[in-house]
Amino acid sequence: MQKQLTVQTPGQTQWATRLALACTTALLAACGGGGGSDLNTTQAADAAGGTARALAATPLASGDGGPPGASDQVGVARGVSRDNAIRFLTQASFGPTEAERDSLMRSSYSAWITRQLALPATSHRAWWEARDAAIRAADPNTMAGQDQVFESFWKQALTGEDQLRQRVVFALSQLFVISALDGNVGNQPRAMAAWLDMLGDKGFTTYRQLLEAVSLHPMMGLYLSHLRNQKADLITGRVPDENYAREVIQLLSIGVVKLNLDGTPMLVNGNTVDTYTPADISGMAQVFTGFSWACPAAPASNNCFTNGSSSSISDPDRHFKPMVAYPQFHSTTAKTFLGVTIPAQNPANPAASLKVALDTLDAHPNTAPFISRQLIQRLVTSNPSPDYVRAVANVFVNSGRGVRGDLKEVVRAILLHPEARLRNDTAGKLREPVLRLSAFMRAFPHTSDTGFFRVGNTDNPATSLGQTPLRSPSVFNFYRPGYVAPGTQTAAASLVAPEMQLLNESSVSGWVNFMRDNLSSGVGQSNGTVNGVVLNRRDMRRDDSVQMALAADSGALTSHVMGRLLYGPPHIALSTEITTAVGKIIIPALNVGGGNQAQVDAAKRNRVNAALLLTLASPEYLAQK
Amino acid sequence: MHIINNAARRLFLRQAGAMSALVGSATPLALNLAALSTASAQTAGGYKALVCLFFFGGNDSFHMVLPTDAASWGAYTTTRNQAPDPISLLPVGTAPNPAAAAGSPARLGGVLPIAPANPQGRAFALHPLMGGLQGLFNTDRRLAILPNVGPLILPTTKLQYGQSSHPKPKQLFSHNDQQNTWQALGPEGTTRGWGGRLGDLLAAGNSQPVFTAISAAGNAVFLSGDTVKQYQVSSNGAIPLGVDSAGRVFGNADVGAALQRLASSSRSSHPFDADTAAVARRSIDAEQLLRTALRAASDPAFGTAPATGNYIANNDPKLRYNNPITGLSAFNPLAQQFQVVARMVDAGLRGATGTQRQVFFVSMGGFDTHDGQNTGLSDLYARINQAMLYFDATLGALNARNQVTTFTASDFGRTFTSNGDGTDHGWGSHHMVMGGAVNGGDLYGRFPILSLKNPNNSNFDGSPDQLSNGSLLPGTAVDQLGATLGRWFGASDTALAGIFPNLANFNPAVRNLGFLQA
Repeated sequence: MQKQLTVQTPGQTQWATRLALACTTALLAACGGGGGSDLNTTQAADAAGGTARALAATPLASGDGGPPGASDQVGVARGVSRDNAIRFLTQASFGPTEAERDSLMRSSYSAWITRQLALPATSHRAWWEARDAAIRAADPNTMAGQDQVFESFWKQALTGEDQLRQRVVFALSQLFVISALDGNVGNQPRAMAAWLDMLGDKGFTTYRQLLEAVSLHPMMGLYLSHLRNQKADLITGRVPDENYAREVIQLLSIGVVKLNLDGTPMLVNGNTVDTYTPADISGMAQVFTGFSWACPAAPASNNCFTNGSSSSISDPDRHFKPMVAYPQFHSTTAKTFLGVTIPAQNPANPAASLKVALDTLDAHPNTAPFISRQLIQRLVTSNPSPDYVRAVANVFVNSGRGVRGDLKEVVRAILLHPEARLRNDTAGKLREPVLRLSAFMRAFPHTSDTGFFRVGNTDNPATSLGQTPLRSPSVFNFYRPGYVAPGTQTAAASLVAPEMQLLNESSVSGWVNFMRDNLSSGVGQSNGTVNGVVLNRRDMRRDDSVQMALAADSGALTSHVMGRLLYGPPHIALSTEITTAVGKIIIPALNVGGGNQAQVDAAKRNRVNAALLLTLASPEYLAQK
Repeated sequence: MHIINNAARRLFLRQAGAMSALVGSATPLALNLAALSTASAQTAGGYKALVCLFFFGGNDSFHMVLPTDAASWGAYTTTRNQAPDPISLLPVGTAPNPAAAAGSPARLGGVLPIAPANPQGRAFALHPLMGGLQGLFNTDRRLAILPNVGPLILPTTKLQYGQSSHPKPKQLFSHNDQQNTWQALGPEGTTRGWGGRLGDLLAAGNSQPVFTAISAAGNAVFLSGDTVKQYQVSSNGAIPLGVDSAGRVFGNADVGAALQRLASSSRSSHPFDADTAAVARRSIDAEQLLRTALRAASDPAFGTAPATGNYIANNDPKLRYNNPITGLSAFNPLAQQFQVVARMVDAGLRGATGTQRQVFFVSMGGFDTHDGQNTGLSDLYARINQAMLYFDATLGALNARNQVTTFTASDFGRTFTSNGDGTDHGWGSHHMVMGGAVNGGDLYGRFPILSLKNPNNSNFDGSPDQLSNGSLLPGTAVDQLGATLGRWFGASDTALAGIFPNLANFNPAVRNLGFLQA
């Protein structure tokens, strides 16, 4: 690897300049080529501390005893520091576990990504179906629902090996949005699970393949209403539904204004330039006509088109099998959009129309920066520099092997770009509520009484997370990529903060109260009797024996807790505050004979929970910086 | 008329005007606000509140306010009676057919006639499930209708719409951008809303500025001003951060104090830390005030106390409506949002929150009816009807109707054409204003002409108001609506011109739409 970069003042501009310079020389492969060169501990430590550090070839740090960041100075030349491992895994997974952290410390970012991408996927739909079978076996009048989709999501998020895949699936589910708040979607939980599987499969192929799978998925067809959308009726004046046509352009591919490759808006005479007009939407809407249910009698049967069945025969998998084309309902008139025209067809050729439409969106100059920037925002930072976006967009345009939209390489480029390792006052993102909970539950592993990880619906911002996977308020996701919180220091610094759209006076208290109860009572829905054992308690709990053993020493306990949940510079003021507060909980002396053991344990447990809650409630935890 | 308050109002308007003249200079707004004495502002006409009821998704107001004269009705029926699921409502007087599909026009029965004081030579009706609002319009005269409102830069004709040189709002037809434009007069990325900016002007009368702009429905740019920040209250009221009523967490008050202290303070130079801490600080401070300031939801003024046990909003009959799809009684979350607004208004009237001027935001989603419109809008309109009536009645019991004006807003109207079972994105739409200060029972603005679609294209050649697919070209700008509300709220012409940048492009005679009593 290259010599250490030495930077005296870690100002962003200097860094950007120096990193850009580095990208042109030694770091070429990692800066956009998507190749195998690793960023090693040396450079990342520089980014964190702003000074070049000599790295001792000492054994890897282990345990949680030291203050966060302390082990920056501990590591091996070819490994990753403890602090950097935690930070990287916060970006690339649902949060570091001890095991994953230690594994990464012995490895490298690139090798970790390669290993992750090779891991097999676990099917969410298979989980849902198994649960459904079990639920029906227990009571024929019931069936699995959305809760079992959330079970699968959380089980994989908390315990799955293929963390990167599932983390990217969660990110993609916020770019390619369906929402169970719409009953058409919410009433098909099996297909919601299949949607997650589709994202985990096609999300690691090319963008073009993903876009096609999304466009033909009946859950999207139901959500944005192009399923069974019909061509215009020139006699009566009925027109095609424009819903999907508009959003596939505005949200899933190119956006509303023309972009430079670096994600900044293209300006003409100081003004942005619209990417499309209402006429483009009308033209595109004609493409998305004539697609409907997979059905044994398709495409001949009009009943299959409208109802998904013919003579009472339907495809039981129609809610997730790709929609099929029914030419008799597809527009045959010329379709003009985004500078291309599909000539009038006779006979109707829905597949040909779709191909032109999706090829056009895929090839549009906006698509690479539009998708790349949002994926960076979901994984790493709300405010990527233009250089960062351009580097990733370049990989989108050409993976290095001539592939366009290679999403594996895009993800790799996002995580390996030097700016992903950079730390300063514009870097990072707020943790969204789902990721706050997952990071806690991975740092302090929870077991599930049922094995189902029954987190359930977490919609309510006042009493829960205010965010449930696959339940965003609209196709515009839980938050907008360009969200600027009015009147904030973030806004004054000209920064966006998408996740801040979920942060308000209710939800900030809701989070703390939710975690207070999770700490003292366990996480998730309550079970009565499990496998014949009466439990009457919440489904998930953690083994806190390690923390209980430290509880008598409030400083050691605080240091341990913060070391698992936080990273970055030593949070001395926070540590002092928590240590002092925890110490206010008096642990009674154990009687001779131990008659007050329960009170001693209760006090210790209050200390453990207090150290955890105070850390989880801190601004230091709420932002992934 | 509210003659009694006029002297105080004029005094206040002079001060606000003087202040807004200063705003034009380089003096920071905060200093100007400080210069306007709190005491004098409080004398200016007593408490007033504006409530924005936002319909997210783009309400199909063609389905809500219907012209029933022969020509209009013919165009409506012909255009919207499309297979497979016709969305054309049935004429006044049609008896409901209980055997028809839930939510279908036949099941609902005919539209409900309303009698505007100035009917513009036409006849009008409301959706069949808006019987309460019909009474509020026809009998109580506390409801007015504003036809064809939407974002406009300046008055625009159909011919001018087709000219690229003619200024038009950015990103028309786009949900997020038009939501933002309605609330903040610019597309997504515009961060100051006109509700918040009215609050900036008038917050000086509030000894607790945190309660100037309040959302009961999550984040709304409408409420963000230069200095005023929105306070987001839960429908249940304020929530304590972490601690019990004695300030303890895990049984310990020191830990409780530390929790609140460290959650609400930043120890780094990163703006994210400062901002998350600031939200927590506002949450803690506001909750401490509201804990005692708000009367309970179960108080008969707002709700129904249960015979036994704790109050559960979902079970409160005042907050329930008859779901027209299931035929069953169901909880109405919009009514609960109005409930917490009413509780805040009550506290404001009693002086318990130190507020003289408040702007509120409530909302409901589900209006993007590209499909399933019959069932979707039936349910939503039933909720609107129940919730608005609940709010009117509750304010009546508080003797606060004259002090609170509620208006509706939405992303956009929709297409006049049908796509078979729904409608697509449009522009102008009809809206409602409700309150004791409203000159109700009338239309404010010319009701648009509805015509037939040209069979050869998507044009509506017979109407000067209808664009492609019959979307409405607005006849009234959001700026005019906002300025009319703002004037009632106490803002001067100068101040209004600053808040509503397009207002100067409209004839002075129509900058005040006249739907509010002076």
